Amino acid sequence: MVLDKNKTKMNYLKIENMEVAFQSAKGKFIAVREINLEVEKGEIVSIIGHSGCGKSTIMNAIAGMTFPTSGRVMLNGEQVKGPGPDRGIVFQNYSLLPWLTVYENIYEAVDAALRELSKAEKKQTVERYLRMVNLWEHREKYPKQISGGMKQRVAIARAFAIDPEVLLLDEPFGALDALTKASLHIELLKLWNLTHRSKTIVMVTHDIEEAIFLSDRIVVMNNGPASTIREIEEVHLPRPRNKKETVNLPEYIAVRDRMLSLLMDKVVIDEKDFYKEEAAA
Amino acid sequence: MKKSITLSTNLTTGFERTNSVRFSATLTWLGSAIKAWTFTFLGFSLLTILWYMFSKITNGGLPTPLATSQVFWELIKDPFYDYGPNDKGIGLQLASSLGRVSSGFLLGSLFAIPVGVVMGANKFCKKLFYPIVQILKPVSPLAWFPIGLVAFESASMATIFIIFITSLWPTLINTAFGVASIPDDHKNVAKAFGFSKWKYLTKVLIPYSLPHIITGLRLSIGVAWLVIVAGEMLSGGIGIGFFVWDSWNALSLEKVISAILIIGIVGLLIDKGFSLIEKKVTYSV
Repeated sequence: MVLDKNKTKMNYLKIENMEVAFQSAKGKFIAVREINLEVEKGEIVSIIGHSGCGKSTIMNAIAGMTFPTSGRVMLNGEQVKGPGPDRGIVFQNYSLLPWLTVYENIYEAVDAALRELSKAEKKQTVERYLRMVNLWEHREKYPKQISGGMKQRVAIARAFAIDPEVLLLDEPFGALDALTKASLHIELLKLWNLTHRSKTIVMVTHDIEEAIFLSDRIVVMNNGPASTIREIEEVHLPRPRNKKETVNLPEYIAVRDRMLSLLMDKVVIDEKDFYKEEAAA
Repeated sequence: MKKSITLSTNLTTGFERTNSVRFSATLTWLGSAIKAWTFTFLGFSLLTILWYMFSKITNGGLPTPLATSQVFWELIKDPFYDYGPNDKGIGLQLASSLGRVSSGFLLGSLFAIPVGVVMGANKFCKKLFYPIVQILKPVSPLAWFPIGLVAFESASMATIFIIFITSLWPTLINTAFGVASIPDDHKNVAKAFGFSKWKYLTKVLIPYSLPHIITGLRLSIGVAWLVIVAGEMLSGGIGIGFFVWDSWNALSLEKVISAILIIGIVGLLIDKGFSLIEKKVTYSV
């Protein structure tokens, strides 16, 4: 397929007027509707919103795990019709296979997704990515023998190892403590840099700081059901981003302010409530 | 979860441990083993005392423990003698029963595991086969004996046939349950990374359901060992069940009680064997 290079770049990943609905006992349940989103190649985009706003539904539609009831998802000029090795997924709960070692977990994924490689090349690939996430020494361990942060590094290494064009991260750091989370952010950006910032990353999160620190753009969702995109926020922070310096930049503070007002507008403590409590006491 | 046992032992041996640590671990193990054996011994002593009292009350209607132990010793002293079709050593009888149980069990498992996998993986097949399983499962396998006789025209083959039937249900049901309960997370991994059917079978389906399958096999062989005694009472010829019936006809309750003990011990050993395999194949979560 011959496409205008520039056009491909701009419309690399495109969601067109998508609606996703599920059949439930009570009838049709619309998760998301009127979703329009264009993502450039090499861009990092976060989708943020409250629980149940259909963030993961959008992610699953890009992954090819669920299908839009109307509209479509286009990747590289072709409609997404199912899961494929051009999209690497990091699942919310790591999803490592517990009966396989760290090494085998990545090897089996590489073996399945990159069939054209020789066995030696596959082994090399697994080793390279395990070293990138500093887990080569732990390759013989089973998932239950390593910490949550390490499990997520295995999952990220597994997703990168199949050399996908798009990485889909579904609340990847949600279950981790703040310190582990921060170091994994750096690790993720490192991997992204090591692959020449060529990989497009779409991430679902409910963490504002995480979204700002990592993304080029942030998609803010309305509350569900039948949620829509509320606003798309651009993050003009210089890269490479460094945690300590970045968080003090005026741009960072401005974006965070905007995000807080978008997402937290309902959560306000009224002074009247305060007085009432005091009176009751 | 019970699944943690195997790996945690791997984990501890993986660490460099000093000899003194290993020694004290052995000591604790020895201590708990002695304790367990003491309880077993006490329990059996109590049973023997009750047994002795009963044989006194019934005036020898029930043989005394001492008389039984003498017969027991006679039996196991020379287990492999063969004085013609109606007089064979207990070892030969056992071997023949074990042979039948294992061939019936093996055939049953070879049939039940694939069918269980299909039933667990495919809703249509489950709807199709499950009612059949539900109706046939509660039937005593002995009821199948006449059908075996007609089909194979041999009492020995008919016994293997009822063991085959016996071995089906627990394995089938457990396998189907195991396969049906594969979490979506694991399935999604296979989908996302494009696992082939074969890879899904060998790297996801079988590893996940293997503990369930082994549990099914363990239940199956347990019931099979129960059924073989009754089956051989019907079929006659040779086997531990036939031996019990033959001893009853010869009015030797000592032999019957000895056979009960032997059947129990062999059953226990089979069960222990399977629980060892069970621990080997379970992964930890």
